[in-house]
Amino acid sequence: MLDIRLGDNGEIVITGRLDASQAERVESFLEAIEEPKIVDFSDLEYISSLGLGVLLKAQKRLTGSAGAGLTLVNLNKHILDVFRYSGFDRIFEIRPTDAE
Amino acid sequence: MERTFKRSVNALEKVFAFIGEFFDDEQIDGNHLYAISFSVEELFTNMLKYNVGASRDILIALRKLDNRLEVRLTDFDVDPFDITKIEEIDVSRPLDEREPGGLGIHLVKKLVDRIEYEYVDRRSTTTVIKMLG
Repeated sequence: MLDIRLGDNGEIVITGRLDASQAERVESFLEAIEEPKIVDFSDLEYISSLGLGVLLKAQKRLTGSAGAGLTLVNLNKHILDVFRYSGFDRIFEIRPTDAE
Repeated sequence: MERTFKRSVNALEKVFAFIGEFFDDEQIDGNHLYAISFSVEELFTNMLKYNVGASRDILIALRKLDNRLEVRLTDFDVDPFDITKIEEIDVSRPLDEREPGGLGIHLVKKLVDRIEYEYVDRRSTTTVIKMLG
């Protein structure tokens, strides 16, 4: 189960599990974004490699056209590991959880 | 514990439920669940992507041996596809040189302790091993 929407402060909120069966939906949502955004991962449990690819595609487009891209906040430990192993911690601005 | 799954990304929900069931039955530390789910999804979706002409369901077998977890995915009547032979990608490249895709196998290699591949009688089997220590 996955949900993606704009939060009260204009941030992107993704909840649930971003696996291959949900990647297209997230890609469509992100394609409509035309300015730098914060993406809140507080309630995102899981992201697969296809999900990472969708975020990368959005980041490339936004940094090219808007000058800045997505800032990711509140990643859980496992997702943060995957971002580090991917080198995505150098491609996205990542802010740690409040607890860290 | 083993089960077969339809060749569709829509089968992933059932695949994850199967993995969760196995973790519960074997009382495996939930900290390992992400690595195993990620690896199984990557191998499963690679089989869908690269073994296009195949029609049979994909077999997933999970086994716990002492402090070791073995996950085996088998695709039947297909050409070989050995993920252990795939070249490493360079994750230090800047954004403008990165492309979506190609990351999955690199990440599986990071998340598990060993990957083995076997191809016999047009049966393609990839096994990942995760130490539970």
